[in-house]
Amino acid sequence: MNTAQRISQESRKALLVIGSPKGLKSASHTLGSYLLKKLEAGGLGTETLLVGAALRSEADIGRMHEAVASADLILFSFPLYVDQLPAPLVRAAELLAEHRRARPPVKPQKIMAIVQCGFPEAHQTRPASDIMRQFAKEAGFEWAGALVMGMGGALAGRPLEKAGGMARNAVRALDLAADSLLRGGNVPPEAIDLMAKPSIPKWLYLLFANWGMKNQAGKHGARKQIYARPYESR
Amino acid sequence: MNILILNGGPANGLGTTSRKIRDAAAKEFQARGWNITAYDLDTLSIKPCRGCFACWLKHPGACAIQDDEEGFIKSWVASDAVLMITPVTFGGYSSALKMALDRSIPVLLPFFVKSHGEIHHPQRYRQRRRILAAGTLPGPDAEAERSFHGLVRRNALNMASLRTESQIFFDSADDAEVAARVGELAGAAEAGS
Repeated sequence: MNTAQRISQESRKALLVIGSPKGLKSASHTLGSYLLKKLEAGGLGTETLLVGAALRSEADIGRMHEAVASADLILFSFPLYVDQLPAPLVRAAELLAEHRRARPPVKPQKIMAIVQCGFPEAHQTRPASDIMRQFAKEAGFEWAGALVMGMGGALAGRPLEKAGGMARNAVRALDLAADSLLRGGNVPPEAIDLMAKPSIPKWLYLLFANWGMKNQAGKHGARKQIYARPYESR
Repeated sequence: MNILILNGGPANGLGTTSRKIRDAAAKEFQARGWNITAYDLDTLSIKPCRGCFACWLKHPGACAIQDDEEGFIKSWVASDAVLMITPVTFGGYSSALKMALDRSIPVLLPFFVKSHGEIHHPQRYRQRRRILAAGTLPGPDAEAERSFHGLVRRNALNMASLRTESQIFFDSADDAEVAARVGELAGAAEAGS
């Protein structure tokens, strides 16, 4: 990239919106911040916003509107909660759409989504990416596409560069997406396919995940209560 | 039949059709002799799920946060059918309904099992229920409607629903149409008995 291209890119801003309640310790941040760093290296200005913190007060909500209004590209990275976006992210989307209906955007803006779930099948995130696309339509954004993945728990909030072979497909997918977004394009189909590809066999993931749950319950002294039914009345 | 009505519409004008459906449903279900528990979710104090998994790993089946959600979960567990009412929000549910549903994961077990050819969490309780959903829209929007029905179907899989029915109500629907469509939802729940 030459100097003129870099100066032109630096006037553009990418905003990463983390929709996980775990914030900076989440797999959502692991994935989103990796892509954000790539965009920064490509010359974009960057900013990160945590949805939980952005909804704490009217002043915080005001800052969220400002951050979104000033961005050219917004990356929403979040886990699947009950088949779609976590509730605070739905609330943020409701507020953003309402705000933008009253004050229409002054420049073209693009959004994309990174969605990960604990299930091995990436297709279980389909309603979440449909909702983000519909949000883009209703709130006046251009839709750049979604990268969705299963087995998100395997990333465990580590930096992607340190997640080893488990993150191989995600790293390649995010690199491809960054290249395309920096050129003004959308999320390319090769990136979508790579991101959705299981990083380990399903049976192995299930073995580790189910063992891990029992092990963690044991550490908390709750191994024998794991099947408890505290609210059973009949 | 124990039926739980969850109104996810806001108290303002956006929730007008949701309230109309809630009232028609209460009347219909009462006429059928069902036991009704109803919540206007916008009026409850339900904090967001923290994703801490304490409800699976520290004190299984109970959430770490103490607020109005506990009553909601008790009603959910005791229900034979649930009617979720919500403005269709970008093709999904309103934040008020979503806030309550996010905190319902204590009704699941932490493990993964295969069901319907894909992986899901098993149910913690033996009791199964019908899942009914009524989404409201100002007018036709094919993509939002498709997304809403798709979301309800996925919820039904993860909630091990006995029978699932979702309908879209436009804001222009009059009382007679709302009553008739609510009657169809009730009929679907009864057919799943």
